[in-house]
Amino acid sequence: MTQPTDFELLELATPYALHAVPDSERADIDRWVARAPASVAAAFEDEVRAVRETMAVICAATAAEPPAQLRGAILALATPRSAKVRQLTWRTAALASAAAAVVVGAVAFGVGVLTRPTPKTPVAEQILHAPDVRTVSRPLANGMATVMFSRDRNAAVLVMNNVPPPSPGTVYQMWLIDAKGPTSAGTMNSAAVAPSTTAMLTDLGSSTELAFTVEPGSGSAQPTSPILAELPLR
Amino acid sequence: MTGPSRLSTDLDVLLRQVAGGDSDAFAVVYDLTKARVYGLVTRVLRDTGYSEETTQEVYLEVWKTAGQYNPAKGSALAWLMTMAHRRAIDRVRSEQAGSRRESRYGAANVDPASDVVADSAIAGDERRRVTDCLSGLTDAQRQCIELAYYGGLTYTEVSQRLAANLSTIKSRIRDALRGLRNCLDVA
Repeated sequence: MTQPTDFELLELATPYALHAVPDSERADIDRWVARAPASVAAAFEDEVRAVRETMAVICAATAAEPPAQLRGAILALATPRSAKVRQLTWRTAALASAAAAVVVGAVAFGVGVLTRPTPKTPVAEQILHAPDVRTVSRPLANGMATVMFSRDRNAAVLVMNNVPPPSPGTVYQMWLIDAKGPTSAGTMNSAAVAPSTTAMLTDLGSSTELAFTVEPGSGSAQPTSPILAELPLR
Repeated sequence: MTGPSRLSTDLDVLLRQVAGGDSDAFAVVYDLTKARVYGLVTRVLRDTGYSEETTQEVYLEVWKTAGQYNPAKGSALAWLMTMAHRRAIDRVRSEQAGSRRESRYGAANVDPASDVVADSAIAGDERRRVTDCLSGLTDAQRQCIELAYYGGLTYTEVSQRLAANLSTIKSRIRDALRGLRNCLDVA
């Protein structure tokens, strides 16, 4: 689109405020408004604001109660910033720590896995701030598993709400599934499954699904039981 | 104060608390606004699964960016609903490319108030007032709002759909908003 006249620009303010301009045109409009005379820019902003205030009132007409289980999933989002992110023994973390332990010495082994310190910029924060963050939820047992993932960051935050702990002697095992099949992404035992659990998943690679199974002992090399839940990572 | 203006004043305060990391305030924000947010998102997406996911993204954005809300630039409710609408529209556009989107939205209802679930959280008289104002639009104006705001079509697509020229569509959209604004007495 070519540079519009002031009048044409002001005509675009209403569709712009309604998100009814093509995405490609949106950036152009921002630029034109920034370059427009102050009075035109002010009139554009006034119209945008008035439209948004109007539609905020109109939203009473479409109000609908969300499903009750959504509340828990959403309130769990409020935990990562308050440093309640649990660092579980994920495959990558375990491998990294184990590798470090080999170099540093046997003393670090094990301890490194269990009490891995929170990084300076938590991966959770990076994912939640990533422009390409997407959210997928699926029921898991009687609860809900939600994964927020970023392909740019190659990582995900997993939030489990009201998921009952696995039976004694078993664990929940996470699998990242790609064209070559499942790769273990870590396990959670009954101690790790609280009413609301947050965990990190790194190295998504080219996986297209995150799946959950129940596995005996401390987990399996390959899934040995039916998939309980599958979350598409698309 | 009653209705949305009272709500917005409360939200102003709550959003400042959320910006400071107060998860209890975040829960109150959710409870006060969930029906509006979920209702709008589901009206646009028309799919429960997508709507739940998008609603989560909206509140995640609230949690992340509450500190950026500037009361001098508009009400808290408008800030939130703009965010909710933007997320829903982005999802519609990414999910429904090409012909699937055409067929899905071709049959969209023209009356935004006719298929909503009753909600006790929104006072009946507030809803009635809004519905009355929507009824005050011409059919042509209401159709434009329906296709653009709820259907996720751009004004260019609306003009193609209705076989009307672009300037006609832009005027209809603008006149519809002006009518609603006057009817609702929005400052």
